[in-house]
Amino acid sequence: MPLGTARGWYGDLTAAEQNLAVAVAVVLGGLILGAVTAWVVRRVLVAFSLDEAVEGTPFERTAQQLGSSSVRLLAQLCGLFVFTVAAVYALRTLGVLPSELFIQELVDFLPRVFIAVLVVMVGLIAADKAELVVGEQLRSIKLPEVTLIPTLVKVSVLYVAVLIALSQLGVATGALLVLLAAYAFGVFFLGGLAFKDLLSSAAAGIYLLLTEPYTIGDEVEVAGNRGIVQEMDVFVTYVEDDGEEYMIPNRMVLREGAMRVRET
Amino acid sequence: MSELGDLLDDIVADVDSVFLFSPSASLFERFADAETPVVVVSPENDVDADNYVELPLEFRDLSERIRFGIEGGLDNEFLEEGDQVACATKLYADDIDTVSRVRAGDFEHSGVYDLFVNSRADPNVIRNVLEVAIELGKKGQKGKRVGALFVVGDAGKVMNKSRPLSYNPFEKSHVHVGDPIVDVMLKEFSRLDGAFVISDAGKIVSAYRYLEPSAEGVDIPKGLGARHMAAGAITRDTNAVAVVLSESDGLVRAFSGGEIVLELDPEEY
Repeated sequence: MPLGTARGWYGDLTAAEQNLAVAVAVVLGGLILGAVTAWVVRRVLVAFSLDEAVEGTPFERTAQQLGSSSVRLLAQLCGLFVFTVAAVYALRTLGVLPSELFIQELVDFLPRVFIAVLVVMVGLIAADKAELVVGEQLRSIKLPEVTLIPTLVKVSVLYVAVLIALSQLGVATGALLVLLAAYAFGVFFLGGLAFKDLLSSAAAGIYLLLTEPYTIGDEVEVAGNRGIVQEMDVFVTYVEDDGEEYMIPNRMVLREGAMRVRET
Repeated sequence: MSELGDLLDDIVADVDSVFLFSPSASLFERFADAETPVVVVSPENDVDADNYVELPLEFRDLSERIRFGIEGGLDNEFLEEGDQVACATKLYADDIDTVSRVRAGDFEHSGVYDLFVNSRADPNVIRNVLEVAIELGKKGQKGKRVGALFVVGDAGKVMNKSRPLSYNPFEKSHVHVGDPIVDVMLKEFSRLDGAFVISDAGKIVSAYRYLEPSAEGVDIPKGLGARHMAAGAITRDTNAVAVVLSESDGLVRAFSGGEIVLELDPEEY
């Protein structure tokens, strides 16, 4: 019986040889498990069509120049992590590592490094992707200053990713956090202040579009402007009267109410 | 072959400007230092030309395409009435293979450029509607020809000058002509009688509309049916444009201000 012979062979070895055999087995197992993990992760990422989502980002292009791809890199990273864990375990079995304490620290630290690297990678890809998407949305606006916005979005995403990675590694990030808070405050508070009218118009506009109390072709009076509704979108209603077209923000419609003229 | 070269020289001699229709970047580059002003006419300005006329539809008919380019050039004041223009465009190949000479203003101002650019509705919306009509004309329903009438822009006024024939299938829907779902709905479209009303921004406001404009003074070629008459009349009465797919001859015609400004054969697209 092969299993019996193997056990007999194992029993004949000295303790040191036994450890070596276990270590080799663990390393081999780690290799296989790492490869399987990488394969599974890759399949999952492809199944979520991440490879299409990241297409065209600078990160993906760099990866492709190096003969790889973002998906493959991410998968390889996961596989590498699994293998590293196996390798550490094998080294411990062999007793090569100096002390139990060191191993304990290593075990604590490794996942953090892994997550930090993962976060930075995902952050890089997400930042590139965000830059692309925002840039595409703004492409119809032919204004040189507008190119600043995609860059700003990219830097913000990267900043948050780096912050997470650093805090994973245990680096003091207090100052950076304060900066982030100030930045978020600026974006949300001041942005909210600036977009206040747009936001309230959009909220009203969604109600108006869903319920359609009036529609294109109806005669209405809103805030003193009477005419025929020509166009409704999320933000404004266009009311036209004898060649004069009023652009009425939708929040006015809800605040002041609208009068719809019904023919008898 | 110097005779052929001379012929080409004769054609392009003393032109006031050059119109390049959908040139490749390298070709445009070669014209960059030319003395005669160059105007690019293409669907997208990917060569970053200063003088650029957007071509909303790849007109298969060469004269239509050139006419559109010239009218666009006149409208943007890239050239003046009576200027001699050399047009380089493609006829058979995928890149430029034809050169012709035109005198701007030689032909009647058809308003095909105005139809797209100076209508109430968005140029994209008009292009999308034309594409829908062309598609409908090509497919028909079960191999049978269908007719359709789209009224684009000035929807408020159009709605007040028409009445419903049946309940409106687009009530409380927010379908726009450019939406992918429209392609799916095309077949259903062809079954609906009456006109489609489309707003300036492309929203399909209603179907099943019976248009009742005053048809006074509308002059369209004899032989076209009630659908065309209605299209001519509604565009005279309002600031809308109308796109008609004829059931009898299968052509797509666009009306503006009561007149036919564009005639296309769907089979060519």
